[in-house]
Amino acid sequence: MLSTIALDTQVLRPGLCTGCGACQGLCPYWGSVDGRTVCFFDCERTDGRCQRFCPRMPTDLDALRKQFFPEDTILPEIGPFRGLYLTRAADESIRAKAQHGGSMTALVELALKEGFLDAAVLTRSRGGLNPEGVLATTPEEVRACSGSSFQVPPTLAVLNQALKENKYHSIGVAGTPCKTLAVYKMKANPLPENDNHAGNIGMVFGLFCGWGLDWDGLNALAAKHADPAKVSHMDIPPSKYHSLELREDGETVSVNLDEVTPLVRSGCRYCADMTAEFADLSIGGARSADGWDVDKGWNQIIVRSEKGQQLLDLAREKGVLEFKDAMEGGLEKLKKASLGKKRTAVRNLRELTGRPDDLGYLNPNRELFQDL
Amino acid sequence: MTANAPGQVCLMQGNEAIVRGAVEAGINFAASYPGSPSSQVLGMLGKIARERGFYAEWSTNEVCALQACTGASLANGRALCVVKQNGLLCTADALHCAAQAGVKGGLVIVSSDDPSAHSSTNEFDSRWQAMSAGIPLLEPTTMQEAKDMIPYAFELSEKVGQLVLIRVTTRVCHGRGNVTLGPLPEKPRALERVREWDRMVCVSYMHGPALQKLESLRECFETSPCNHYEGPEAPKKLIIAGGTGRLYGQEALRRLGVDKETGFLSLGTLWPLPESYILKRLRSAEEVLILEEVDPFLERAVQALAGREGLRVKFLGRDNALPAVGELDPDVVTSAICALTGAALPEKKPTGELELPVREMSFCAGCPHRATFYLLKRAMRQEKHPGVVVGDIGCYFMAGQSAGQYAWQTCNCMGSGVNVAEGLGQLTNYGLDQKVVTMCGDSTFFHTILPGLVNATYHNANMLLIVLDNSATAMTGFQPHPGTGLTAMGDHVKPMDIPKILDAVGCKVEVADPFDVVEAEKTLRWMLDQPGMNVLIMRQPCATLMTKERSKKPVRVYVDQDVCIGDGCGCDKYCSRVWGCPGNTWDFKKNKALIDPVTCVGCGVCAKLCPSGAIKVEGGEEA
Repeated sequence: MLSTIALDTQVLRPGLCTGCGACQGLCPYWGSVDGRTVCFFDCERTDGRCQRFCPRMPTDLDALRKQFFPEDTILPEIGPFRGLYLTRAADESIRAKAQHGGSMTALVELALKEGFLDAAVLTRSRGGLNPEGVLATTPEEVRACSGSSFQVPPTLAVLNQALKENKYHSIGVAGTPCKTLAVYKMKANPLPENDNHAGNIGMVFGLFCGWGLDWDGLNALAAKHADPAKVSHMDIPPSKYHSLELREDGETVSVNLDEVTPLVRSGCRYCADMTAEFADLSIGGARSADGWDVDKGWNQIIVRSEKGQQLLDLAREKGVLEFKDAMEGGLEKLKKASLGKKRTAVRNLRELTGRPDDLGYLNPNRELFQDL
Repeated sequence: MTANAPGQVCLMQGNEAIVRGAVEAGINFAASYPGSPSSQVLGMLGKIARERGFYAEWSTNEVCALQACTGASLANGRALCVVKQNGLLCTADALHCAAQAGVKGGLVIVSSDDPSAHSSTNEFDSRWQAMSAGIPLLEPTTMQEAKDMIPYAFELSEKVGQLVLIRVTTRVCHGRGNVTLGPLPEKPRALERVREWDRMVCVSYMHGPALQKLESLRECFETSPCNHYEGPEAPKKLIIAGGTGRLYGQEALRRLGVDKETGFLSLGTLWPLPESYILKRLRSAEEVLILEEVDPFLERAVQALAGREGLRVKFLGRDNALPAVGELDPDVVTSAICALTGAALPEKKPTGELELPVREMSFCAGCPHRATFYLLKRAMRQEKHPGVVVGDIGCYFMAGQSAGQYAWQTCNCMGSGVNVAEGLGQLTNYGLDQKVVTMCGDSTFFHTILPGLVNATYHNANMLLIVLDNSATAMTGFQPHPGTGLTAMGDHVKPMDIPKILDAVGCKVEVADPFDVVEAEKTLRWMLDQPGMNVLIMRQPCATLMTKERSKKPVRVYVDQDVCIGDGCGCDKYCSRVWGCPGNTWDFKKNKALIDPVTCVGCGVCAKLCPSGAIKVEGGEEA
């Protein structure tokens, strides 16, 4: 099948696209507008990087995992695992602008300074609305990317362009689970005739993710409750609060989650990865016995690779991150939440395909998912 | 064309013969809007108008042309109106009103039909308009007839005070043949002051007199030199032919060796039917084959005549023996004559084994329309719900094919785009959540867009009209239009300023250069988001016009094949396959892109689009 048609019929039309941008920045055929992946013209190649990189095209996740991570580190619920930590950036100025503890910003900045990376592909949240992918090469540029967004921008288009230019040779990437999966698909060099300098991919930083929101929907919702131009931060506190919080001019506006959930991007309903299992380090909001008011200033980090461990150890050694003891049973809670997302994805995929044994893009690992 | 050399034989194209006929008729006035296949006629008339003392103009549209001709007729002038089939239909109201009012000075309309639609969107048959309006109809077959029928038609027109329609077809307009010249009048017909009680009015009580004029013409046609008969006195098998079918028929009869026993009736006067002349041969006939271009016009009329006279005749024609659509050719006529006469169908010599590749029509190399439609497709795909695009008529009609990235969903006739879009644009207030876009060329803008533009702006339709301003009526051969500052007679006049007109109408107007792809796409997308009536002028001169005007290419564009990734992932022949300019070709030996230096006009747009930066522009700035 022609590549553009394959993605259109198997990913875009069924509503599986996450908007990650893995298919973009490679050629003149794919682009993105307001979070929507757009095919400008048809490509007539039968195979191409767009469909090979796409995290929603069928992938043998198990084989991919074993290619990059030692088998004995892999936990079925949350993927490769070398340790769970509660951390926050030591630098207060990072924390002030951060989503939670600012650990991601601090780690990427450290990785750049220490030569782990020479550039990083990050997402500039722009206060949470209509974020964009950027290629950061200085600590200032990294810091400008503090804070999260609930929209998924096509950040990987920026990565693809940066790899194509071949100017930087160890490019870090931070992204949601769909993006980090795509990055590992890139690293596996699925189209040997054109490797797009995949060897230039450096460390991968994953972000915990529940779901992203439809761009138009979130913009309309934000406009209903605040002045979109003044929104500086967005967050979702633990489930008991049942709300989305918008920060506008320093004031927090609380939006009932019932208004938000219908805006969840269709592609996110089929996502089986909460903790960004393909990454060196995965970072999310902390959950501890101290309660939300404390937790929202901290992160939890899963270390997945040796390189991830090295960077975290260096951050501890250099005092870039502050650590506190993980909550008892924290790992179990994380596993439970992660499993919950996998079950939902499997249920939704069955509904989409109309067949209990057809899990769509997860079919290559059907046996891992169908008995969850 | 203007030599006074009676008896001299000249090789002439049909369109030239028409011009010569008009000069021999001593016309005072000629008006036309360009349309293939007769576009050349007024171009030539414009060049010799001064010398011969008449006026010629490229009118803004066909209605202007025909009505201006009726004005000239009122002053006793001889006026020639030249249109194509669509143009004649444009004039329908004017034509019917003029036919009821009658004429004073001779008024002849030459309407050129395009069987098989070689240069048209359709193959409409002009002849029905003569029947409908109740005016006489002539049709020449040879170049000589094309010339001779013009003065003949003027005489008829003045004899009965009625317009005359001459129908020609593509093969007559573009074919060449010997024409024996007639004498030229010393000067055009004398004009007469319009007197206080002169009347040329369309009122209902003129219907009867108009029919009487037609009836009196039937008498003339019974003995007209335009009609011929060859064959037995009382033929059993009869062919009745009008137009080009006649020559194919005569050739086939001789070739099949059945010309002696088959009657062949050639008609040059098609309406009103010379009934007695036809009946003289029809009464003995058992089977009749009718040869004519496009519709069964004669076929129906002769069938009605036979029915009225109670004749039992079997008819062969467009209903059975000939294809229902498309142009006649020697092959289809030969097989129809075999069906009529029982002659054996000669075996056809096999054609060569090498088949010509199928090629779609496309925009010329460097055509600004290609860039506009490339950008339009990108813009439409970026809309949440891809928009609806309404086409119009001009070179950009080809935008419906790969040349324009299959741009539009609908296309009607000249000037229709803005109106169809207005309808859709109004419905965007009633739940249709799509952007609505249409387009027109600068010549079409003046031809029929203006009323629609006023309508859409006045009623505030949510839509975008793209004016493809290439400073030319390119499709038909660069005839001047009100935006060009030139006239058919070569005068320089003040050009109409499209932005000023739009401004005065009150719509939002932006101007973009389609070759500045990044900025033009931004402007286009911005305009798509604006409510109400928006007009985007895409301004870049026609590439063919530019090539004509300059002696050498401004730059050299070439492919660095070391950089080109060809059909690899990341390109897949983007320049030759998607952009699709005829200048972007493919090096089959090296599997890389190539630029054909002969075809390339150096616009440099492909260099801006190449995903690998492999297309280089050398010498001077990019266009």
